[in-house]
Amino acid sequence: MSPLDNELKNRLSAAVGGESVDEACEILDGYRAADYPVAPGEILCAVKPTSLAQVRALVDLARKEGLNLVPVSSQAPHHKGGSFPADRGVIVDLSGMDRVIRVDRRNRVALVEPGVTFEALAERVGPLGMRVPTPLLPKAGKSVLASFLDRDPILIPRHHFDMTDPLLCTEIVFGTGDVFRTGSAAGPGSLEDQWALGNAQKNPMGPASSDLVRIVQGSQGTMGIVTWASVKLELEPVIKHVHSIQSESLEQMLGFARELMKRRLGDEILFLDAVALSAALGRGDASDNPPFTMVFAIAGCERCLPDRKVAYQEADINDIAREFSLRVSDGIQGTCAGDADELLSKSSPEPYWKRARAGAYRELFCLTTLDRCPELIDNVRGIIGRRGFADDATGVYVQPVQQGRSCHLEFFICYDAADDALRAAASDAVHDSAAVIARAGAFFSRPYEPWVGEAYSRCPDTVMALEKVKGVLDPDNVLNRGKLCFRGGETGVGS
Amino acid sequence: MAMTISDEAYRALEEAVGEENACREPAMLDSYCWQPFLNMSTDLWVQRPIAVVLPGSAEEVQEVVRVCNAHGLKFKALSTGWGAHNGPTYDNVVQIDLRRMNRIIDIDEKNMIAVVEPYVCGGELQAEVWKHGLNTHIVGAGPHCSPLAGATSMHGCGNDSIYMSTSSRNLLGVEWVLPNGEMLHLGTPGSDAGWFCGDGPGPSLRGIVRGTSGAFGGFGVFTKAALKLFNWPGPDEIDSEGLILDSTGGLPDCSLFYNCQFSREEDFIEAAYRIGEAEIGYMFVRMVTSEFVLLLMPHLFKKLVKHRAIMDLLDKTMAYPFMILLVGSTERELKYQEEMLNQIVRDCGGMAMKFNNIPPAANLMGMNLLRCTIFGTVFRSGNMFATNLDGNEALTTQTDWCSTMEKAKKRYIQSGGLLDDGSDNPYMITYENNLFGHCETIYLYDQRNPEHLESLEPLGFDTTLAAIEQCNVPLAAFEPVTRTAMSPLAGNFNRWQKEISLAFDPNGVSDTGLYTDEKEPDPEKIPAEKMEHFEWLKARFGRKG
Amino acid sequence: MSVADYREDMQGCVRCSSCKWVPFNHMKSHRFSGNCPAISRFNFHSYSGSGRMNMGLSVLEGRSELSEKVSEVVYSCQMCGACDTACKSYREIIDITEVLLELRAECVESGQLMVEHMMTLDALKRENNMLGEPKAERGAWAAGLDLKDINKEKVDVMLHVGCRFSYDPELRGSIRRAVRLLREAGLDVGTAGAEESCCGGRAFELGYRGEARNFADDMAARVKASGARYLLTPCSDGFAAFNYLYPLMGIELEAEPVHMVQLLDILISDGKLTLENPLDMRVTYHDPCHLGRMSEPYLGGWKGDKRDRLRSQSRTGRFGIYEEPRRVLGAVPGLELVEMERIKEYSWCCGAGGGVYDAFPEFATWTARERLEEATTTGASAIVTACPWCERVFTDAVGENGFEIKILDVVDVVARAVGLEEEE
Repeated sequence: MSPLDNELKNRLSAAVGGESVDEACEILDGYRAADYPVAPGEILCAVKPTSLAQVRALVDLARKEGLNLVPVSSQAPHHKGGSFPADRGVIVDLSGMDRVIRVDRRNRVALVEPGVTFEALAERVGPLGMRVPTPLLPKAGKSVLASFLDRDPILIPRHHFDMTDPLLCTEIVFGTGDVFRTGSAAGPGSLEDQWALGNAQKNPMGPASSDLVRIVQGSQGTMGIVTWASVKLELEPVIKHVHSIQSESLEQMLGFARELMKRRLGDEILFLDAVALSAALGRGDASDNPPFTMVFAIAGCERCLPDRKVAYQEADINDIAREFSLRVSDGIQGTCAGDADELLSKSSPEPYWKRARAGAYRELFCLTTLDRCPELIDNVRGIIGRRGFADDATGVYVQPVQQGRSCHLEFFICYDAADDALRAAASDAVHDSAAVIARAGAFFSRPYEPWVGEAYSRCPDTVMALEKVKGVLDPDNVLNRGKLCFRGGETGVGS
Repeated sequence: MAMTISDEAYRALEEAVGEENACREPAMLDSYCWQPFLNMSTDLWVQRPIAVVLPGSAEEVQEVVRVCNAHGLKFKALSTGWGAHNGPTYDNVVQIDLRRMNRIIDIDEKNMIAVVEPYVCGGELQAEVWKHGLNTHIVGAGPHCSPLAGATSMHGCGNDSIYMSTSSRNLLGVEWVLPNGEMLHLGTPGSDAGWFCGDGPGPSLRGIVRGTSGAFGGFGVFTKAALKLFNWPGPDEIDSEGLILDSTGGLPDCSLFYNCQFSREEDFIEAAYRIGEAEIGYMFVRMVTSEFVLLLMPHLFKKLVKHRAIMDLLDKTMAYPFMILLVGSTERELKYQEEMLNQIVRDCGGMAMKFNNIPPAANLMGMNLLRCTIFGTVFRSGNMFATNLDGNEALTTQTDWCSTMEKAKKRYIQSGGLLDDGSDNPYMITYENNLFGHCETIYLYDQRNPEHLESLEPLGFDTTLAAIEQCNVPLAAFEPVTRTAMSPLAGNFNRWQKEISLAFDPNGVSDTGLYTDEKEPDPEKIPAEKMEHFEWLKARFGRKG
Repeated sequence: MSVADYREDMQGCVRCSSCKWVPFNHMKSHRFSGNCPAISRFNFHSYSGSGRMNMGLSVLEGRSELSEKVSEVVYSCQMCGACDTACKSYREIIDITEVLLELRAECVESGQLMVEHMMTLDALKRENNMLGEPKAERGAWAAGLDLKDINKEKVDVMLHVGCRFSYDPELRGSIRRAVRLLREAGLDVGTAGAEESCCGGRAFELGYRGEARNFADDMAARVKASGARYLLTPCSDGFAAFNYLYPLMGIELEAEPVHMVQLLDILISDGKLTLENPLDMRVTYHDPCHLGRMSEPYLGGWKGDKRDRLRSQSRTGRFGIYEEPRRVLGAVPGLELVEMERIKEYSWCCGAGGGVYDAFPEFATWTARERLEEATTTGASAIVTACPWCERVFTDAVGENGFEIKILDVVDVVARAVGLEEEE
């Protein structure tokens, strides 16, 4: 690692208030994704801004000095590699910006800084009778904002109207150093002005004729640095019944789930294969589990006739299950009610649930439609099997999104962290699988290594357009250089 | 009057679309210029295009755009084409009429998605998807509007937004002819993965397609779009006799239609919030009682409006009503929703009237509400209506907006600048289980009355001022004066729009009049005190940075 | 009246395009959602009801000229009235049909004529019929039927057969069956025989006001001389002319116009005709525009601002003849009537009207083909109608396109059900 130039260090330090520039290897190592599948770029240092002004100062400095800024919001350990520079870079660690700026019970919205974690926000909104839409077992220390910016799928498809959900308005520092607020937060006026008038930063669209939040979301920090966001909250149920359905036939269960989502029945809805269920529940042996389990909850909230609601939904759902020749079980087989509830509402214990199974994992996820899942799952399992992995090494998780119109399909291969051969095999399996399922209709809406190349090779027109937008919002290419399709050379925005 | 197209360029257009699908006959071109709706000008003719073409495919659209690039012409596409925003704003514009592109490409019942071309109208799509037990969002403007245009290029709220959101958030995969003639597919179609998502890989280019407003045809041409469909437990078709006002198509069994009345604003708002929390409702609209008289019996209304006591009786005793349609897939669900609604209305001190029990009302509202046809009768009073296009925000702010605009309107009514509609004429809807709301105040005028036309621009400016006071970017920011006023107060949004536009349209061939062009208020039309107030507001609400 | 008199109607267009579709609460499919043949076929906005008014206003305001191309657009329209009905769903201030009639008159006035129409008019003036057939042969269809001659005796019911039924050999059977049915019911009618002439309605629709008036005056005089209380016609064009165009021209008839299907309906319900023979058929009924919406009586010209007009004071097309033919068909034992999607006041035109059959025969056939496709989707083996012009153009289109569907007049169906023997 090259030493950080003293003068640059001083400037960085000045940008963030005279301190908080970390160069220590052990600290910098924390930003590296475990088992990252490609060679990492060098981390020069990590800086920890605590305000919008400091973030702007960092961007301005980066433009002057040609630095590569890699924004990071979640706490270590990091898994996916979003925090990991592709090119020599400076980590902009936003985890210190951890204020819950505002919680609005009536409008069911919270305004949070990037460092606010799921646990912290849940703690804050729980006493107000609200809950945070969450992905499945987010890692401890996971930033709410980072998760939503990355389009992590949330567990309740009914509340996922659009791909931006549950993200609403944002404040962004573009690569130009300009600050821009999206949605109805755009202005006029300060946040305080807006609050005084009853506005609550609820409208995610705009302002005017662009939705720049959509450009920043999914950009892995390549288009802007988000310094706060408003996020949707939901009511905390006063009654919640967790149910499951187990079947040899995934197709059958998918049909059942589609009907539920079409009618907006049920809250959380997800599918876990035997391995994923065991991993998620923190169990070792998956052999007793059926091939797939559909887990879903039915809930009722205060002031919403909760008993009546749960009763009608359970009756309707049972009718639908009968149509599909399925039987609804209370809870999840072999699991106490508390564990089942925690599966749907808590963060992962440490170590992270996928890692806990064998010490290391390699994942692959895509977006597809429910009807395509069985074929894609067969494809990937076949490839992984041919790479020498046992059946119980691979977990499959299907999370319907967009109210059931599509789903997040995730595979994770668990292996012994100390086994280099398995590591390589897992890496190859993911690589090969990505190519195969892409041809079968999988869509890599969240392109991480090692499938980022596969994702962008399929859509050269999208790459061309993204480069133009990048050229506008980050003309000096100071934001997470080298990530996604912005890889220099032919892109025209190269490092 | 207008410049003409060169023979060479015209021949190239003919080659692109076929001779029979190109036109430069002045009177025929003028049929594209008469656009009184949402026209703030006193001249209801918009700029005449130099030619009109009717491409039959995305490839032909590309050819037309290439011809425009090659010959220094601009282009502007329209779908169903209602409103002045569809017309050219420059004198060298080829109007691309997408009427021939009217296919429903796919209805994916399993995944609740439809893929359509631009000229499929909302009524057509709904008629087809009902046969699959699904429904499509129809914008408040009516079923004659193009769902594709709504989703890609315009606003897009509707009575069903409580359940089906708004057009911009219902957009999935997109096929888009860029201003340079290249084709771009957003999301899954770009990766040959179907049409189910318009976002990614990575950043979502939906972010440059549109925001709250669209680019109004100022940024390429959208040739296919995938749209979300929604549950429809009703029949495949509803037999209906009559023409809206003497309609006999009743409410389907799966639905209950209620009119709920509240005398206090805070009770109405509380009820609306609770309906959102309970996640009930398929359609939700706030309209005051007198609006129904206005729509259905304009001649009677003309008499009533002169009698303050009667108007007060209609509108002030129960000043905050909403119509709500409940739809359930089962009797159980419908019953739950009904109980929930009645509980909420009771808790909030309101009164709920069930229209299913009143056959004339049920008949009238059945198809007309479901297909959103009733609102077109707003033309009956004055011939034309317009609306101040507010932004979207928390429900409380939306009723405030309505009150503000009611006051602004009243001044014009009193001076004869607008028709008297009783002033309080709101159209308020909510989005996604009342996550947030939208409110407009309708105003009526006669486009054939010069005095009325003179009111439009000043009233538009009043709307802008009110929006600033409300800290909101109004939907009307597609209009150049409003955009120019609002942009510096809201992050200079137009700077980004312009830069993105330039990046994709280096030759400036898209007609950007309603996308990025700017215009200062006309001092001839805006009184000095309003300009002073504007300056004060800019200082008060402007943000640094 | 002139185009200028309709300035406010034209200015009242909000360009919503409702005139291009069936009224939306009646829309049942994407395939059959259109209501206007011209915009459906030619696509430029100027071919719609709205676009025609926009063009008219443009010409009136001197923004553009009434050129040959504009005239072609104006005449590429069947004058079916569907746009008017759709527009009236939302407002009472625009009478599109009247604007279109004035535009055509303006075309004639300014010399922008269709050659084919000039030829038709020449023939009309020469032979008193729209087909250019010899006037002496006008009454030949009735050979052997022994009809009363209104030129010689007073009658209670005067039968006006119309140009198409008079001369079209393929349709002659229907009109002869109609007369025999009337006889069966004990009703005696009289005709003008060779002295019958065109009603003038089509000439009016083409914009030839002077010629139309001449023929209409003749017609009125003939009716008066006949002493008839009822003017019976099997021709829907004629029926619409009597109910709508004549009053629009200010011509009063001294007899009440009755269409043949109305009379058949009365005769059946009064038990004068007994439908005993079962017909094992599935049929669909095509509402002729001129029997349906276009036959709705003229309500008088409106003076002043049409915003003051009540809904009941504007023609909407709702009060055309819709139920009578359905009752007649419903009375036929064994016959199953299945409806198409576009019916009654929002029926799709056959394609023949407004001079399109003469000037743009391909467009007429295209329009008919659209209707026949709609008819075939019902599974009907026959499309039944009540207008010779519809029957003519359908017959042409069936022949050219190989549709497996029969074209029948309501009269033909009733005749079979009554058991009327076929003539040799």
